[in-house]
Amino acid sequence: MPQVKDLYNDFKEYLQLKLVTGKRGLCREIKKAEVHSPGLHLTGFSKHDLHSCIFVFGALEIEYLRELDKKKAIERLKNILSEFTPLVVVADNLPPPLSLRLVCKEKKISLFSTSKTTMAFLSRMFFLLHEWFAKTEVVHGTLVEVFGLGVLIQGESSIGKSETGLGLLEKGHRLISDDVVQIKKRGTSLIGFGPELTRYIMEIRGIGIINIAHLFGAVCVKTETTIELIVHLEKWNDSCFYDRVGLEEKKCNFLGIGVPLHILPIKPGRDIILLIETLALNHRLKATGHYSAKEFTEKLRRNIKNQKFNENREKSKSEK
Amino acid sequence: MKIVKKVKVKNKFGLHIRPAAAIAKILQSKKSSVFFTYKNDTVNARSVMGILSLVIKKNSIISVSVEGVDAEITMKEVTEVLNKCFEEE
Repeated sequence: MPQVKDLYNDFKEYLQLKLVTGKRGLCREIKKAEVHSPGLHLTGFSKHDLHSCIFVFGALEIEYLRELDKKKAIERLKNILSEFTPLVVVADNLPPPLSLRLVCKEKKISLFSTSKTTMAFLSRMFFLLHEWFAKTEVVHGTLVEVFGLGVLIQGESSIGKSETGLGLLEKGHRLISDDVVQIKKRGTSLIGFGPELTRYIMEIRGIGIINIAHLFGAVCVKTETTIELIVHLEKWNDSCFYDRVGLEEKKCNFLGIGVPLHILPIKPGRDIILLIETLALNHRLKATGHYSAKEFTEKLRRNIKNQKFNENREKSKSEK
Repeated sequence: MKIVKKVKVKNKFGLHIRPAAAIAKILQSKKSSVFFTYKNDTVNARSVMGILSLVIKKNSIISVSVEGVDAEITMKEVTEVLNKCFEEE
């Protein structure tokens, strides 16, 4: 779970944060992806539980606190802020009132001020928290960006995922992660990335551990990509029927989002790297509205229809 | 058959390259699927990079899940590696 200090250290500039008081609160965990402006709660309304939420005080709240009697202001603030509150931020570069500083000090809450407006700060915080608390799944495979398309290569151990990835890199595509791929949901997309420790590292049987960024250069690596295609490599099985026309679309589900899945059987003579490149290109073509298999089926249907029409015409002519 | 067991890592420097490679070597001849779970992350134990990405230090307790026809012998051998202290240079 992220701590207040993680937010402060990593996004100090992005959020324009300045620590006012409560250094001891920096180790407190941010347990909820919720940010609130106290608003109505300052008037004494406290039916909704706001423990563990981040609070942002805007110009209105600060004005209201200033107008309140100091004792009353402290009492109201104590009802809202607790030892579970991770942090309090005062927006618009406003100086935090004494009552707020006292309560934050007492409850050991980190109090920050920001030059951002309440709205700007809230929108940035929502985005950050959404990223932090997004569901993550770890999968076994190699993630490569082929023609700008995130392709996750999966398959049983020692089928040749890393070797295929290496072959794609050699052709100028980009490696995101090998062996361990973390998947995060961002809106309706799936973002794939690798753990920081094993980033750009590959383990090839017979060679060992290699660093792709050092070997092929920075142009061959990328930190994250949107996963748009899953390729499942498997040993060729004569009893299994593989897709011959491409009219049916299989999907693989990660974090509730379906991604097109293609099963590629491996057999001597089949150039898997070329096949993956073709798959990626075909997928891009589909995105532009050209579905080769469907277009061909439509053309065939038209031809059959015309043939029938011609046959009928000839029939009727001969009858006459 | 599926066996799930909690195992303590006894190696001085945790699960680094050598023990990870030793596990991969053992699993090469096994048919069962083996997964390690540590701090909510689950990885395939056949993947050296997968094991390394978990960053497991000494005395950490990991969950080992083995499923397959040779689950018992696989679990026994994997546990032995996790309990073993590798010679560190």
